[in-house]
Amino acid sequence: MIQLAFYFALLSLVSVGGIPSVMPEMQRLVVDVQGWMSAAEYTQLFAIAQAAPGPNVLVTALIGWKVAGLVGGAVALGAFCGPAAVLAYSIGGIWDRMRDAPWRKIFQRALVPISVGFIVSGGYVLATPQGIDWQSALIAGASAAVLYATRLNPLWVLAGGGVLGFLLF
Amino acid sequence: MSLENAPPTPPTSLLELYLGFLSIGARSFGGVLPWAHRVMVEERRWIAPADFAEVLALCQFLPGPNVGNVSVVLGRRWFGPLGSLVAFAGLMALPLVWVFALALLYADFSSYPGVKAVVTGVGIAGGGLFIGTAFKLARPLAHKPWGIALAASCFGVIAIGRVSLFAVLPVAALIGWFAARKGLV
Repeated sequence: MIQLAFYFALLSLVSVGGIPSVMPEMQRLVVDVQGWMSAAEYTQLFAIAQAAPGPNVLVTALIGWKVAGLVGGAVALGAFCGPAAVLAYSIGGIWDRMRDAPWRKIFQRALVPISVGFIVSGGYVLATPQGIDWQSALIAGASAAVLYATRLNPLWVLAGGGVLGFLLF
Repeated sequence: MSLENAPPTPPTSLLELYLGFLSIGARSFGGVLPWAHRVMVEERRWIAPADFAEVLALCQFLPGPNVGNVSVVLGRRWFGPLGSLVAFAGLMALPLVWVFALALLYADFSSYPGVKAVVTGVGIAGGGLFIGTAFKLARPLAHKPWGIALAASCFGVIAIGRVSLFAVLPVAALIGWFAARKGLV
């Protein structure tokens, strides 16, 4: 559990864009490196966090809970939110002064392709818990297309994924 | 109309702050951000729309959950450190209860193959939502082949190669920084 807390605290500080950016790394740690759960279980926990109301950062609490019970859940959520919150707290005060700084704009543009690559990776590892098959590709592809091309509430996309999952798996 | 132009009034007590963030968390089906905007800008009129957009931009730029950061930054602005804690706790309280309730419920029913199939489908669709979001974010890159190449390399190394983010991020940030300075991304 200490290992989990330490690792989530590190992830916290690089999670620009929130959970999606660190999703591939979190899955790699929890599934590949530590073997705390299977890729299928990981995707299911993520599904629960997505389907419940609230920030998707709550998936960290579910992972901690799976690994070390309720205390593990609280520790994992705290470890993931804490360092970033402290950073937000300290920077919140001085942000206005550097609003027009040129380095800030360069940094923001540099971040775009990187976070795009990270977020697509997160989507990929979540969508392939059972390897690459046509069913998963269909569900993930259709969801991505609907979100990209329409203004439909994402909850309907998740519901559609549930229906397709029921029919196809 | 006069109400529309009235200056925003920040919360006057920690209780009001807590209840406001509690109601954001309580209603945040399908994403927190739309509700954060609705409660703080439209319903309770704590903050002006432009001000909210600016705070949000900061919080998207910082690591950590975006709306979680918003609660920390605004809590600090209005009530200092205690405000940050109260706002963050209010935001997380109810969603935390619900996500555990749902997880326990799922643990009871996961032996039914149908339930497992539905939840797996939802998870895969959630992965698809990530991919769709990334493509939306990638729109400014449409005419920037270097940006697309950098994004694709990140994907190849992380998703297919399974290399740790901590190894990829410094390298990618360095490349991105030089590309951005030359106007390539």
